Amino acid sequence: MSKIKIVPCSGIGKVFGLLARESVLMVTEEKCPDECETLCLAHVVTGDDEVVGKINGENCITMDGCAKYCAKKSVEETGGIVVKSHKVPDYIKAHRGEEHGTGTYLTDDGWKYAEELAEIMVEDIKEIKAGVN
Amino acid sequence: MLGNRIGVISCSGEECLGGTISRLAVRKMMEELKPGMVSTLCLPLFIAGDGGEREFAEKYPTIAVDGCSKCCAKRAIEKYSSAVAGSIDVAEIIGEAKALEKPLSTRYITDLHMEYVNQTAAKTCEIFDEILAKQ
Repeated sequence: MSKIKIVPCSGIGKVFGLLARESVLMVTEEKCPDECETLCLAHVVTGDDEVVGKINGENCITMDGCAKYCAKKSVEETGGIVVKSHKVPDYIKAHRGEEHGTGTYLTDDGWKYAEELAEIMVEDIKEIKAGVN
Repeated sequence: MLGNRIGVISCSGEECLGGTISRLAVRKMMEELKPGMVSTLCLPLFIAGDGGEREFAEKYPTIAVDGCSKCCAKRAIEKYSSAVAGSIDVAEIIGEAKALEKPLSTRYITDLHMEYVNQTAAKTCEIFDEILAKQ
């Protein structure tokens, strides 16, 4: 079975884009490298045959930084099946008042928040795997 | 961030080191090298076409900073707006093999990676200054 694709928005203007990016890298590079992989959103949105072949009909998780949902929409338009869609601000309530950093770096609180987002995606992966197997 | 009249779009690719370098180089321009002078455009939003980014790139010179030779940012600008005012391919600066190494979290950035960022940002600034001189 092919790996689950996890695609963050990586928006460059605000910290939410970096939180999306770093949380996804935690999952794909450290927590579940055998179960999932990430794809370049920049490549996805070009619609190249190569990337369409990788994503079309595959289970995907998206992590967006804002309500534009660029990652989710782009993956869907490319034929990916978005099984789980998240937005960084959706989980901010418990982190009100914290400073998470900027689009360049994360603070300690930012890294803790990224870790929390990563764990949400790890649970997604377990659910998807349990449903498929 | 569309108030200034020269745009920069980073691919911020998630699949390779070059994407991390492209992203950090553009952030360095924004914060240190050309503070208040750069309009950064989100590539996915640019392609989605609903944030004013495409119109900006049609009107104003825009530089693409790509992490690998696929040049997704450059191709997107040319497809949806107009010719790029300049483009950077990180792979040409740090080497194709290095650019295609595994993606890197900012937690693991080393001095060598920062040197790649500095080189990429410096090249982008050269293009930026050339454009500015013509305006």
